[in-house]
Amino acid sequence: MAVTKKTNTQLFVDGILTENPIFRLALSMCPAVGISTTVMNGILLGIAVLFVQVFSSCTISLIKDHIHPRIRIPTYTLTIAMWVTVIDLVLAAYMPVAYKAMGIFVKLIVAFAIITMRLEMFASKNNLGPSFWDGIGMGLGFMFAMMTLGFVRELLGMGTLLGYDILGFKPLLYFVLPCAGFILVGLMMGMFNWIEVVYNRRKRVKEL
Amino acid sequence: MKQIIHITIALIITCVAAAAVMGLAFTVTDKAKKQNEHKNVQNAMLGLLGYTKANPAPSDLTFHSVYRYVIEDGEAIYLGYMVPVQKGAEEGYELVVINLEGKFVEKLEVSITPEAAIEELERETALHAVLKPPKKFTYADATIIAKLGDKRLAYLLPGEFPGFKTFISVMLALDPNFGVLGLEIMEHEEDPGLGAEIEQQYFKHQYKGKSFKKVKGLKVVKEPLPDEYKRYLETKKWKEGMFSEEEIESIRSKYQDKDIYAITGATISSKAVTDGIRNITKKFAYRVEILDRVVAGQAVPVTF
Amino acid sequence: MKNFTRHHILMGAFLIVALFLAGCAPEHRFVKKVGFKDTDKIVITFAGPVDETWAKDVANYSVYEKPDPDIRLKIIDVALSPDKTTATLTFEDPLNTNQAHILTMTEILSDGRSQGTAVLTVKKLYFGYLFSILIGAMIINNFVFTKYLGLCVFFGCSQKRSTAVGMGITFTLVITFAAMMAWFLYQFALKPLRLDYMQIVVFIGLVSLSVQGVDTILRKVNPALFKAFGVYLVLVIANCIAIAVPLILADNEYNAWESLMLAFGAGLGFLIALFLMACVREKLDLANVPPTFKGMPIAFVMAGLFALAFLGFSGMSIY
Repeated sequence: MAVTKKTNTQLFVDGILTENPIFRLALSMCPAVGISTTVMNGILLGIAVLFVQVFSSCTISLIKDHIHPRIRIPTYTLTIAMWVTVIDLVLAAYMPVAYKAMGIFVKLIVAFAIITMRLEMFASKNNLGPSFWDGIGMGLGFMFAMMTLGFVRELLGMGTLLGYDILGFKPLLYFVLPCAGFILVGLMMGMFNWIEVVYNRRKRVKEL
Repeated sequence: MKQIIHITIALIITCVAAAAVMGLAFTVTDKAKKQNEHKNVQNAMLGLLGYTKANPAPSDLTFHSVYRYVIEDGEAIYLGYMVPVQKGAEEGYELVVINLEGKFVEKLEVSITPEAAIEELERETALHAVLKPPKKFTYADATIIAKLGDKRLAYLLPGEFPGFKTFISVMLALDPNFGVLGLEIMEHEEDPGLGAEIEQQYFKHQYKGKSFKKVKGLKVVKEPLPDEYKRYLETKKWKEGMFSEEEIESIRSKYQDKDIYAITGATISSKAVTDGIRNITKKFAYRVEILDRVVAGQAVPVTF
Repeated sequence: MKNFTRHHILMGAFLIVALFLAGCAPEHRFVKKVGFKDTDKIVITFAGPVDETWAKDVANYSVYEKPDPDIRLKIIDVALSPDKTTATLTFEDPLNTNQAHILTMTEILSDGRSQGTAVLTVKKLYFGYLFSILIGAMIINNFVFTKYLGLCVFFGCSQKRSTAVGMGITFTLVITFAAMMAWFLYQFALKPLRLDYMQIVVFIGLVSLSVQGVDTILRKVNPALFKAFGVYLVLVIANCIAIAVPLILADNEYNAWESLMLAFGAGLGFLIALFLMACVREKLDLANVPPTFKGMPIAFVMAGLFALAFLGFSGMSIY
């Protein structure tokens, strides 16, 4: 992808909807399945990913002209690892309870293909502004996906939302278990696919 | 050739820059992390003793920490208790060494302040100065004794034992007769909705008020929790006028000597917590009696 | 080539047997074997008959858990076998068999003559513990179905059985290599220098290095193998499991053998997961799937059903 011609807001919206990392690009699914048991977890991990994505994108787009092509991948990896360590330390220090709930997944952000790919495809070729908005869009898309999943799973599995008892009983404990995560993500992907099909169909009808 | 040098230099610069940023983040956050951890533990302890924001602790509530070490000197094994002592106007620490039969061996002065003694590494350095090789020592556990004025209010025991998944870390509060005052689950990795229910009040509060005799033989029963008991246990959900004084007293005495009702679908986690608490209490009661006897016999000026 | 491999297999078997024996030989000439039985018994096998009066006296035995040397466990009964070579100690409380226990027998009397005092460690076979870590990482805590890691690569490579097997084997090789290096670096560089927070960077660097290393070695040693598996090597870096395994072994402070078992188990578990998924997906390709669900969505639902099945292994303890 060469220097982008999209406007900043378009990048932002794209990241959330049409190029949503989890539901459309099918990347970084490990946490989607594993951690989306509650909305709070989803929000926190979403914030962590947002942080890493934005800072990495900005860092790389700032030094993109100085990166030797042979060591691009190690440089991206190093940058991402650095920012992941920073957010990991910060979360462990200031929000220890939430950090424990996420377990190993904060450290695993470094292995998310989405971030590396975004850096490779976008930040290394565009300036600070577009990279920043793309980063935010992607990060928010991730957070949105996690929150939706978390919402469904928490409500149906434990009857609570953000810790507040809404239903007063536990409808289907099954949703909190990992297998439900897989199935839910599959169903939501199918739904997104269906939405796209309907949208394209309507667009074509309008063009006729 | 020039390419390779260029690449190497660029890599080195990147690595150094990354390391600098991470090191900075580490130094800034480390202190905050330790403070937060300590605050968390303090709040848990105060909660167990019944003090909350609405009911703050009185000013004469003090905490004294005793640290237990296992000392190996060649073939012989000893227990070393780092006890806080009153040295004139200040508080210091002494190491009281007791042999396996419960007899006093020796006492050594340890130069460390109570604030520094919270950190394991500080304790290790201070102990290395008095326990020279070939003596080896390993940290065993800690006990925090809460005193209200002059009297012992409670013993607070942090403990860890294997659970269904990995470990369960708890803070147990015992009264001076080793009955259970309360239990707080600090850390665990159990399944949400199943084993994680050990954090819920309807499980934790079952241990409250059990006498030492009952705890020594405490077991888990796989029966459903009676409704009235559940409502009594979930103190957070109590509304005004839900229970009269007599009702509270009758429910309390009815269930006081019963075994623990297991969590539905998490029998192993329930058993793990019960066994863990039973072991912690039994071992502690045995040890604290020996320690008290030795300390009194040797007239060590302990602050508890 | 055949002789070479057989020799290797024999060496491997010998090593395993040696480990096995080393783990269960007690250190006193008169005591052949000690072990746990049921949840509250210890069985001692002597090299010869012991005097009944000595054996039945509970005061001659002293047992404590290794970390609690001051708490002696109460023995309520000693049973002696008819040929007087096996004694079974029954305890008042159930024993914590996961913990090593120290058993001291003072002045063992056999035919009136003292055989000396024996101080022995009673514990479950270390080999069994290692095996349980292996099976744990492979099936009970399968990294894909129970820990939901490595999913991107999982869904990407499980379309055909051949790709699945290729990816699985490559991954096992790389992860074992990387985990051993990670253990080494953690124990001898990161821990002593208190650089724990550098874990993430160091480990991901290691994984990249391992991939590079395996890439180069494979190219030179076995080009045919490289042609088959080389393309999957790059994908290993994006695999969450590759980073998770070093992080786990650092967190749990495993020693070398345990790390090896964990890495091996993780790799094999991934291979099993991939293979199962590939078999199913090949069938799915021929099935009548609704268009919006074709491809990823239905694969996810299938994975969910697999995860449900693997849930059945939860809580199993082998040893």
